[in-house]
Amino acid sequence: MPTSASTSTNRPEVLISLLRSESKEVKVKSLRELKNQIIGNRTKKLSYIKLGAVPKILEILSSSDDSESSILIQSAATIGSFACGVDVGVKAVLDSGAFPHLIRLLSHLDDKVVDAGARSLKMIYQSKLAPKYDFHKDGNMAFLLSLLNSENENVTELGASIITHSCETSAEQKVLCEAGALSRLLILLKGSLNQREASLDSLAAMTESNSEVISKFVGLDSGRALNSLTELLKDRYPRTRLLASVCLIVIGHTSPNYLQDIGIKTKLIMILIELLEEPGRVGDEVPFALANLIADKEDLQQLAFEINALDKLCSFLHNDTIHTKRLKGILLAIAELCSRLENCRARFMSMQALNLVTNALTHDCAEVRSAACICMRSVTRSVKNLSAGHFLDDMIVTPLVQLLHDQCTLVQVTALKTICNIVVDVTNRKSVFIQCGGLKELVLLSKSMDSTLRLNSVWALRNLMFLAESNNKERIVSEITASTLTSLVCDPEPSIQEQALALVRNLVDGGISSIEHVFVEGGIIINAVGRQVRNASKSEVCIQGIYILGNIATGSESHKEAVMHQLLQEAPSVLLKFLKCSDARLRVAAIWCVVNLTYPGGPGSSVRVARLRDSGIISQIKSMVNDSCLDAKFRVRTALEQCKPVLGCLGVKLSATNEQDHF
Amino acid sequence: MSMFRVFISHLTDIETMTTSKKVITREEWEKKLNDVKIRKEDMNKLVMNFLVTEGYVEAAERFKMESGTEPDIDLATITDRMAVKKAVQCGNVEDAIEKVNDLNPEILDTNPQLFFHLQQQRLIELIRNGKVEEALEFAQEELAPRGEENQSFLEELERTVALLAFEDVSNCPVGELLDISQRLKTASEVNAAILTSQSHEKDPKLPSLLKMLIWAQNQLDEKAAYPRINDLSTAILEDPAV
Repeated sequence: MPTSASTSTNRPEVLISLLRSESKEVKVKSLRELKNQIIGNRTKKLSYIKLGAVPKILEILSSSDDSESSILIQSAATIGSFACGVDVGVKAVLDSGAFPHLIRLLSHLDDKVVDAGARSLKMIYQSKLAPKYDFHKDGNMAFLLSLLNSENENVTELGASIITHSCETSAEQKVLCEAGALSRLLILLKGSLNQREASLDSLAAMTESNSEVISKFVGLDSGRALNSLTELLKDRYPRTRLLASVCLIVIGHTSPNYLQDIGIKTKLIMILIELLEEPGRVGDEVPFALANLIADKEDLQQLAFEINALDKLCSFLHNDTIHTKRLKGILLAIAELCSRLENCRARFMSMQALNLVTNALTHDCAEVRSAACICMRSVTRSVKNLSAGHFLDDMIVTPLVQLLHDQCTLVQVTALKTICNIVVDVTNRKSVFIQCGGLKELVLLSKSMDSTLRLNSVWALRNLMFLAESNNKERIVSEITASTLTSLVCDPEPSIQEQALALVRNLVDGGISSIEHVFVEGGIIINAVGRQVRNASKSEVCIQGIYILGNIATGSESHKEAVMHQLLQEAPSVLLKFLKCSDARLRVAAIWCVVNLTYPGGPGSSVRVARLRDSGIISQIKSMVNDSCLDAKFRVRTALEQCKPVLGCLGVKLSATNEQDHF
Repeated sequence: MSMFRVFISHLTDIETMTTSKKVITREEWEKKLNDVKIRKEDMNKLVMNFLVTEGYVEAAERFKMESGTEPDIDLATITDRMAVKKAVQCGNVEDAIEKVNDLNPEILDTNPQLFFHLQQQRLIELIRNGKVEEALEFAQEELAPRGEENQSFLEELERTVALLAFEDVSNCPVGELLDISQRLKTASEVNAAILTSQSHEKDPKLPSLLKMLIWAQNQLDEKAAYPRINDLSTAILEDPAV
């Protein structure tokens, strides 16, 4: 039997049995020992939770009266420690019904008991698992304000933690604001270090996306409240600087007019970049704040780039022992920096940082893998590098393709979005991707039950098909199969229908042999396309469908005939409906069809013109010579020109389509 | 801080008066220093801040009584903090951990690095006392799980366990872990964490003032010869070398 490490240490089972002792002294002693065993020690917490220690301790807490201060202190502290850092622990504490008993301690006469109760409650509220505090419930707001107004620091911090944890909706922000929480938080901002940090967290929660609360805050303290925040940017404590920055970022996102000064923006970026060096929690959280600050703001991205943010961020990628959370944040911040600016992407490539991000694709943590994908997706927006074929490389493609069967759906989706960009490649290196097994994986995912996976895999297939050489088209089509393609065209999700149709559109782009692909197996594909064109309610779906038919109409006589059949089989025809449609994009697409169907020279062209005339198409087109859309107007003239018989041969080929990114 | 602003502004006066390196005599210098006004209460606060931060609780109590200076922290907490510090310095790490947890259980629960260093110090003490078996078991049970959670802890743990592999630890590459300075390092880390948890600065202000004095003298050295303070403990003005 193993001996314990220290003679004074009791085994968990023994210790738990000692808790039941009649002697108060033994009880306090064993509670304290248990507390000392679990503080800072995840493993021990888990094993005690398994042994059912939490409800036993709660029983002691709830059955002790106010005179037993030391039992109250030790049991509350132990419960608080169970709720610290371990989700299972928070759950066990909540399940045991600890809340009312800990709250009872807040009104105890002994300050030490109050401290213990407040600290434990604070621990619980720092967890996402804690139940939301209902600000609207009778008496709750008054109680919360009494916490914020308390003389006891731990109690005021608890009040702030409750706000940080539970204030989410604008209604909650408003009711808190009306109750005076905002001005109280502003006072705490001038309190001790701990109060200041708790208050900054709460202020961020209360002002998030709420311009009304923000303007109220800005007006506080005769208009000096915002100044108090900016002053804290100079604070000597790194965490305070970070939290003040986060608050200002939140305010700036919703009410940019308060953060217009370029000076303050530059300052924020500089502070955050400087804080990247901080060890521990601060340094781990900084990259997220930076990413948030520059998200979707090209001017700030440029500013950050100019003060070397990219170099600094990339330098962390060289560090092998970097904390997982920090690595994730850094990848996301790089992703934001490179999301729009080509000069950032160029610098990124020149620093050879791509290899480092590629390494992160195989990281143990799913969130890091996903962040690495997002980062790579930003970088691969670079048309210049795409055209140079820099991304279709075994070293990059292989790990990305691996991620397509990742256990985590989020990773699969972000990998798909990156692949969407990479396969756009126009340098005839698409076979690299196919040889790495990427095509097989995409096709597999296009049959997934998860609609997001389906959507993004079809999107990637569409881009892979974009301007693909005919042998690659062959491989793609035979891998997908006509029947899968047909069912994707008829997918229940309109967005997937649209991508599947765009995929077919890229397939038929490129000569008669390409067009033949949609006529296999009794024409199931073209029939599906026709059905969608006639029945779909979403314009984007119809547009893709008509362009497919327009492209097919550049083919042989029988191809044109098939298109006529799809477009004119109802009366009034779907073609007429689109020509009369208010959506100019649909009108232009429909006129393209007419142009290609009436292209003179073929043996059947005059017959087709006659049929179009019979179904009212030509007279409709005549009425469109002054169409408000210039493009439509121009095509209408061509179509009318062609309806007079002249010599000619082929139709006009319509462009293929790719949409590189999901902005 | 006001004292230094005045002081430095005097120095800049001197700077603008000279183009080459100017010599300032003792009389001139003392006259200038006499013109600088320092408030007594500011001095007292600096002294109190030093006593409190460094943990001289009895001296702080006396000083509070005699000078009427209010400390910015509850003096009772200093006693607790000093007891923790002393326990680490004497090698009673387990006792120190229990005391910190009584003071504020959040400190070690939310500061994995400090917790690890204390446990590491416990391991070092076991090894120092020749309790090899106990040390191994402790390393395996308490420290190894922390190493699994954090790569850098694992490396430190390996370094510590390496102490067991050497016969003459005083002469081995990781021998410094057994040094008294390792205890002091750990003790000051706990001390700082407790102070931070009490919203108190972890360093006293007085040393930074002296650092600024040295910096200011170094700046001035390039421009003038003046009575310098070389020995901080006596603060004697030494005649300029002419």
